Amino acid sequence: MFFLSELEQTLRLPPYLLNQPLNEAIKGELDSLFLDKVIEKLGLCISVYDIRSIDGGLIFPGDGASTYTVRFRLVMFRPFVGEVISARLKESTKDGLRLSLGFFDDIYVPVPLLASPNHSEPDPGHKDGVRWVWEYEGENYPIDGTDEIRFRVHNVDYPPIPLEHGKDSDQKDSEQKDLKPFAPMVVTGSIDADGLGPISWWV
Amino acid sequence: MKIVEANAGALTNFEVLDLLRSRGAGKDPTRVIASVSPSEFKVFDYLEQTPACNQTGEIVHKFVDECKKYDLAKAEILNVLNMRPSSAVEVYTIIEECDSRMDEKIDEYVETIVRSLPPHPSHM
Repeated sequence: MFFLSELEQTLRLPPYLLNQPLNEAIKGELDSLFLDKVIEKLGLCISVYDIRSIDGGLIFPGDGASTYTVRFRLVMFRPFVGEVISARLKESTKDGLRLSLGFFDDIYVPVPLLASPNHSEPDPGHKDGVRWVWEYEGENYPIDGTDEIRFRVHNVDYPPIPLEHGKDSDQKDSEQKDLKPFAPMVVTGSIDADGLGPISWWV
Repeated sequence: MKIVEANAGALTNFEVLDLLRSRGAGKDPTRVIASVSPSEFKVFDYLEQTPACNQTGEIVHKFVDECKKYDLAKAEILNVLNMRPSSAVEVYTIIEECDSRMDEKIDEYVETIVRSLPPHPSHM
């Protein structure tokens, strides 16, 4: 689930940080730059692991701040295909399930990857909500949000950043409010195998 | 920004939890004083729910040694450490081609897991 990645960054340290020890100031800047952000192909940055080297400290003409070249390692959340992860149900719709890990919410299990055979019934609790039920040997096993759901990672996608919706915003204002916020990293999971799905099915 | 090495090593859930704990994540009830940001706290909360919350460095090392005789891939050992399967069904999902590679040894392996790795406190 978690990997280390080594990066190098040219960092400009603003003068108001000059009274702090160099290591802390650089770590603070790296935190604000990378924490909780997605880097394409590397995953979601969880934390700065360590700082390997700090070079430079040059001051460019006309600038009051010093610039450093820093090499450091980040802890990245990057699930690999085939990994089994435990998550909680966030919402259940006619397109499938959406699962959440607390720090990461964009995990989707589309209908073809649900345990088959199955059927769906409208959920009285939520508007537009659908509850999925697995049929196995005559018994019905519903997927509800009570316990953790184990899924296997099928695919990890980094969709490109969409272009501005700005131009047509006057006419399409009402549609814009329904648009989901852009997800830079999307994990597709599958629960179509023995041992996957809510833990209560197997224990 | 330049990527020097995209994959400098895999980390188990336990190692990330240990890193956050060493920064004081577990000890601070106010969650403001420790040098841990709110997003890191979310990861900490998630990891405390997994079996990694009970593991220690020695347990992990000993378990990896015991896995050597089953000829498993590193990713599979990582998965087992993170998930702590307690039955054969759960091991089938983690290990590819379980039937051909493990056949009879699967029960022995499940026993090794249950013996060496502590279960999550809420599952006891």
